[in-house]
Amino acid sequence: MNANSKIKVENLNFFYGPKKALNNVSIIIPDKKVTALIGPSGCGKSTFLRTLNRMNDLITSTNIDGKVLIDDVNIYEKNIDIVELRKKVGMIFQKSNPFPKSIYENVAFGPKINGLKEKNILDEIVEISLKKSALWDEVKDDLNKSGLSLSGGQQQRLCIARALAVDPEIILMDEPASALDPISTTKIEDLIFELKNNYTIIIVTHNMQQAARVSDNTAFFYMGDLIEYTSTQKMFTNPELQQTEDYIRGRFG
Amino acid sequence: MQSHFTSEIESLKTNLIKMASLVDELVDNAITGLATGNVGLCKGMKSRDREIDAYDNLIQVQCENILAIFQPFATDLRFVMSVLMINNQLERCGDIAVNIGQRAKKTSSYKELIDESKVIDMANRARKMVQSAIDSFIQNDIQLAKQVLVSDDEVDKLNKEIFNFLVNKMKSDSTLIEPCSHLIILIKHIERLADHATNICENLIFYIEAKVVSHPKISGKESSTND
Repeated sequence: MNANSKIKVENLNFFYGPKKALNNVSIIIPDKKVTALIGPSGCGKSTFLRTLNRMNDLITSTNIDGKVLIDDVNIYEKNIDIVELRKKVGMIFQKSNPFPKSIYENVAFGPKINGLKEKNILDEIVEISLKKSALWDEVKDDLNKSGLSLSGGQQQRLCIARALAVDPEIILMDEPASALDPISTTKIEDLIFELKNNYTIIIVTHNMQQAARVSDNTAFFYMGDLIEYTSTQKMFTNPELQQTEDYIRGRFG
Repeated sequence: MQSHFTSEIESLKTNLIKMASLVDELVDNAITGLATGNVGLCKGMKSRDREIDAYDNLIQVQCENILAIFQPFATDLRFVMSVLMINNQLERCGDIAVNIGQRAKKTSSYKELIDESKVIDMANRARKMVQSAIDSFIQNDIQLAKQVLVSDDEVDKLNKEIFNFLVNKMKSDSTLIEPCSHLIILIKHIERLADHATNICENLIFYIEAKVVSHPKISGKESSTND
């Protein structure tokens, strides 16, 4: 983990009401690498992911302390523009959620609400984003078709194109392929492999093989604690801690 | 209740132990036949070797199925990998035992030359190494495995020493060319047997300590690890 750091999390604690969901988590996430977050259900990995673009702000009765520094700026400072933050830190969810609009409008949506009006520039952004998300060849002749008419795997890639259209630097993925068939899953994984050349990607997954395949580094969470964080190669062949070994071997969780 | 995965692993280990027992028996018969001149012990070895080959096939298929179905990680992955590698080594040990048995028949009338050349000492060391390698695997005994690695150096040293002795014998007495040639081939088999025992122990160390200790001289690295 010698690459330049993109995200530095320092002593992060997170509470849902009285319940502590993250316990003093500190981690450095490198730039333009894929970092996988693994752990049993309820371990805090998705909560942690959502702290990275302040998605948890939308949930009432939550509290957070500690620091999340992106490019050395604490995103929990009062003067942070949340819209700008979420442009910089895009997110892909488990269930694809295209808008009930055309494929074109789905991808152009972000740039448009950011004030972009020039048709030729929007066309270019839509094409580039769909190419980056490996969907262009499948939809280029039918951009006016509803996004909802696409298959599950295509919808997920459409959501990735929509996230890429606002030119993010970081992409958060919360189990992005868990509802997809093996072929669509392979496409998403290939896409992640391709995207890491230009983006910092953090992915939550319950699929150990997927974490092993797509990520450079892996963090294992358990009951709100960051237990082990190391290169993916080491994590899945010879982890440092017995607790990690037991989890990846399917002995608990 | 035993998990599906655990029962598959147990079955794999049981089959490897059964195969190892056959190999142990075959090696023991070949070397005892060589040492005592009782070549009757070396009869029927090929059919025993076919049983070993059948286990070789079975274990390969079991490993393939486990890897495909369970996609194991960490210790489990290393176990299946080491079983695959040890299986290969044991199969070769079986073949070599047959070769030693055949060579024992051809050299049985040269007992004096065999005794003088330390071939039996070398063969006994190799046999002990195979037995210790099998025991170390069954008992996960890493210390025993490491002792086997040390023993291999002694066998290599004996190999060179006996080779030189046999060459000198041939130089001094041309009537000994044929038996000495047999013995040179024999010590090559014994040396390979010791090498396979060593490989089994290296595979066990890989399984238990997650270290690749084979070929320590490559690139100046003492070992490769995923540390």
